[in-house]
Amino acid sequence: MAGSRNGGEARNWGGTALVVPALVLVAAFLLAPLALILRYSFDKYDPVKLMLGVFSFGNYVQAVADPYYRKVLLTTAEIAGLSTAIVMLLAFPVAYYISRVESQRLRGWLIILTMLPLLLGNAVRSAAWMVVMGSKGVANSIFLGIGLVEEPIKILYTPTAVVIALVSVLLPFAIITLQAVMDSIPTSLEEAGQSLGHSPLRTVFEVVLPLSMPGVVAASAICFALAMNAYATPVLIGGPTMKMMGPVVYEQIAKANNWPVGSTLAWILMAVTLVLTVLSTRFLSRKHF
Amino acid sequence: MGGVSFGRVAFIALVIAIFTFVIAPLLTIIWASFFVDKILTFPPTGYTLSWYARAWDLEEFANGFLMSLKIGACATVASLAIGVPAALAIERYPFPGRETVRQFLLSPMYVPAIVAGAAVYIYFIEVEILTNFQLAATFTGLVIAHTLVALPWTLRLVCASLLSANVVSEEAARSLGANALQTFFYVTLPIIRPGMIAAAMFSFIASFSDLEKSLFLVGPGKTTLPIAIINYLEWNLDPTISAVATVQIVIIAAALIISDRFVKLGKAF
Repeated sequence: MAGSRNGGEARNWGGTALVVPALVLVAAFLLAPLALILRYSFDKYDPVKLMLGVFSFGNYVQAVADPYYRKVLLTTAEIAGLSTAIVMLLAFPVAYYISRVESQRLRGWLIILTMLPLLLGNAVRSAAWMVVMGSKGVANSIFLGIGLVEEPIKILYTPTAVVIALVSVLLPFAIITLQAVMDSIPTSLEEAGQSLGHSPLRTVFEVVLPLSMPGVVAASAICFALAMNAYATPVLIGGPTMKMMGPVVYEQIAKANNWPVGSTLAWILMAVTLVLTVLSTRFLSRKHF
Repeated sequence: MGGVSFGRVAFIALVIAIFTFVIAPLLTIIWASFFVDKILTFPPTGYTLSWYARAWDLEEFANGFLMSLKIGACATVASLAIGVPAALAIERYPFPGRETVRQFLLSPMYVPAIVAGAAVYIYFIEVEILTNFQLAATFTGLVIAHTLVALPWTLRLVCASLLSANVVSEEAARSLGANALQTFFYVTLPIIRPGMIAAAMFSFIASFSDLEKSLFLVGPGKTTLPIAIINYLEWNLDPTISAVATVQIVIIAAALIISDRFVKLGKAF
């Protein structure tokens, strides 16, 4: 194979070139659009000309100082924080169970069962919660049936309903993330704990919990970011009075044509998500042992 | 003994309760799709299949369903056509900065859907102003956006299967004189076929269930199924919507089970 060295190098670059279409796609239809709205977030809205072509931090100041936007931001953070906390409490035992279950078959099924709701999309999941929480829904029928309440209680269109629905949306993400970290904790450590005479519960708190902390932090960051960005749940389960960031971004851009403010809110979400994603990858890539 | 087994039972009961919390609403909506009563009441006065027929009669659902199928199919093909070569370049032709490239190509998965949707919408409109080429509220525009949704799934699953495949057989083919294309089609492709099928399934699922990216990009007569569902839900809550949701659940569950036959999901995540 004369000249194979040269040929090899040429082929190598040919191989590397295969990545170009994907790069172009992501650059053209994700990076460029994000850069564009980053620029617009510094522009100023004008009812007639739509945008003035100026450069100022006015929208970012407004997003924090204006009572309306500040309330949206705070509500979003509050709901996201509360949902994340509940999700972590619920995800921990489930992830631990999946990670320690002996039958590989059962494990596979449990992972599919966890993933399925995640893959159904937010429209279907919100619809399902509406059927459960509506005034004539399942929850109210059960409450009435067992005499817990006298007349249907209002569950749908309350912040509580949004938190409940968000928790179910976020649980799969937290379970999968935590379970992956727990898989890497050798069971021998728990056996050591138990052989010292500790109860299983104590072993979990003293061995498994500290060692899964990177997973807990990472999963919390992911869930909080996802909750901040939620759209379908606040719109459908929260109703029109429930103002969270996602729906307000949509309103400003698609309905009010206020691209500068919409872009600003979008980039606040983007920045929060970026920071939390980097944080979670840092924690997950850290060596556990 | 008693204490230990009680703790174990309580633990398993807790796990079952949490799974029930996630799954029960989905089972409820499937159940509700068979109710006779127009206004949802539990328990129902009788059962019927007529809501499925009614859902199909409603233009927005029939069109949305067909549109979602078409977009899903196109986005899946596009994401395989772009993603498989990219995965090959990353796993088989090491180049400087390939980890950065990998993260960059996976980034559509991490950028908030609502933010990406808003950005692409504004971008499409600016492109239209500059070039007179309409992308927002068109089939092409939706397929582009959905290809981006699907690409990270394709890349992830194909990279994983390239990584676990043995490089030796590819090298053997090359040393026997097969060129790069022959090696790919006769050696690499058969090895990564299961990964590619799973990639296709997940790309399709990601596209078919997408709501947030499509939200800004749909237009009159160009609506996807999830958008049709939330538009309907704004004003109605009846068994029709349960029937539509059930159809979507069945399609996605089927795709998931098919992909599990090729790639053990228990190990992939």
